[in-house]
Amino acid sequence: MKIKPTQQSWIRALDSKFKICSKKLTNFKICYKALMILAALALFASALLSGQEEITIRIKEGMPMIPVALPEFQFAETSLPNNEIKNMIYETLWKDLEFSRVFKLVPREHYSYISRFDPGAINFKDWASIQANILISGQLETTADERIIFSIKVYEVNSARFVFGRNFGGKKDLSRMIAHRVADEMMKHFGEKPLFTSKIVYISETDAGQEVYIMDYDGFRPTRITFNNYIDMLPSWSADNEKIIYTAYRRLNPDLYMFDIYSGKTEMLSAGGVNYAADWSPNAEQIVYTSSKDGNTEIYLRDMKTGQEKRLTFNPAIDTSPCWSPNGREIAFTSQRNGTPQIYVMDAEGSNIRRITTEGSYHDSSAWSPDGMRIAYVSRIEGRFDIYVYNLKSNSIIKLTENAGRNENPSWSPDARHLVFSSNRSGRYQLYLMDYDGRNVRQITSAGENKMPKWQKLYK
Amino acid sequence: MKKLVVLFVVLSFAILFNACGKKAAKVAPVREPVVEKVEEPVTQVEKPVLSEEEIFQQKTIEELNKDQILKKINFDFDRYQIREDMKPILQDNANWMLKFAGVNVLIEGHCDERGTIEYNIALGEKRAEAAKNYLASLGVKAANIKIVSYGKSKPLVQGVDEATYFQNRRAEFVITKK
Repeated sequence: MKIKPTQQSWIRALDSKFKICSKKLTNFKICYKALMILAALALFASALLSGQEEITIRIKEGMPMIPVALPEFQFAETSLPNNEIKNMIYETLWKDLEFSRVFKLVPREHYSYISRFDPGAINFKDWASIQANILISGQLETTADERIIFSIKVYEVNSARFVFGRNFGGKKDLSRMIAHRVADEMMKHFGEKPLFTSKIVYISETDAGQEVYIMDYDGFRPTRITFNNYIDMLPSWSADNEKIIYTAYRRLNPDLYMFDIYSGKTEMLSAGGVNYAADWSPNAEQIVYTSSKDGNTEIYLRDMKTGQEKRLTFNPAIDTSPCWSPNGREIAFTSQRNGTPQIYVMDAEGSNIRRITTEGSYHDSSAWSPDGMRIAYVSRIEGRFDIYVYNLKSNSIIKLTENAGRNENPSWSPDARHLVFSSNRSGRYQLYLMDYDGRNVRQITSAGENKMPKWQKLYK
Repeated sequence: MKKLVVLFVVLSFAILFNACGKKAAKVAPVREPVVEKVEEPVTQVEKPVLSEEEIFQQKTIEELNKDQILKKINFDFDRYQIREDMKPILQDNANWMLKFAGVNVLIEGHCDERGTIEYNIALGEKRAEAAKNYLASLGVKAANIKIVSYGKSKPLVQGVDEATYFQNRRAEFVITKK
């Protein structure tokens, strides 16, 4: 597949040609949160009363998922009936909401038990009878000039109230993006971080070599970013998601390059030695990365405005794979200072180093979750590579992958509920999504070989 | 009397011969045609034995690298220390580099696939560095040696057994200038 180097055009198209008219109409959010807290308290009280069963209440993950009904969308009266687009938006939105772990969808077959959905006269009792809490009514208008307007109205079923509505307009080839925007609005409205318009940068190995690509979180719309025919590796996002730093063997040496996806400009950042595994600080001012420019692989902090560098690690062992904590105060990294590669955490100035992994003999590729609660990493145990998650609050470790090839390079979703990682479970390396607890594994790439994914972070 | 005896002998021989001839006629022997072998002695051409100097002069950098004038070395799993059995190879490489002191060499460090991408880049760097330091300890000018790590991105052979992994855990010596 050869794409001309107009990589940035669609991203720009996304921003400029994508008009969003939106009005927030009520504040259902606060209501809902209060409801959830009440529910949690009730659960806690019942646990105290019964005194028999041990119930763990995890405020975030323990939140019951919100049942949503998504009846078939309608065409506007003036619209051309384009079923292809209607179905694409519907399926994309359905999959997003299903993926969220915030919402759960009332099964479609249940809709046939009740009277047909009429957006003009909604029978809320019907929808309540099939256990829907939220009802999304969607309307599509396609025009002769290849543009679409998609409108949603969101209702709270039990109170028969209109909650919020949005209209999205754009070119018809942005239909998937419109569905993702709707899903993001749903997340935002219920107090969650939007993630469905977020992107993943990764390395794809095709006939052309190993190049940098970006794609939607669900694996659609892959776009090639680099065209250098050298080995490119370990790309990562800038804090503003406008630049990508990656390593390329351009001058027979692995150096760091920074590519601006809007201007198309590339800048070389390093000089000498191996240079890789850059991670941008949450305050957008610095990067940390691994370099052997002084003769040994150490971790360096670089000010992105002044270019000044500060070395953070000082020992003859291997120090690599640095990764910021989301508050920017700490850095997780891999060090072999005690003989084998282990995960450590240090303060962002390089002091106060403490070891995180205590068992096993091979850990690397740490990724700090955006909510600050967990560090995901890769462990090699008896030749198997699996993804583990260390919970900083409970000080416990859980294993997320098992008996499925080699699993590497985990990266968190912006809302910390999901991970993207690479695995060779189906032969060649491909990218997979999975939830923070190892559930809902889903393959999102299949052409060539795909690895080293990094999900965008949304620091703003 | 003598003539009679001679005649008798001749006659008896004649009869005998005749009888034999008859018998032979019955079992007609096939006589193989005589083939003369024509041979020419193979002339031995003396192969030119090039001295190291001549090889160095005549071959391009690409040819020297292709012929693996400088031999690669292998490493133990997860380690970057020079193995005892690889030291003679490094000694040979050092001797050659000392002989042709103007040569510049790039040492590439490689790893097998049983490591993470990030850690393997560091490990490959350590392997290349260990090889460089060993050559330097044998008198090779460190300034003539550059190192690079490819981690696990350039395996020499494909496979999932220890023999494959062993071949892939290596340092290669690439001549970049002569």
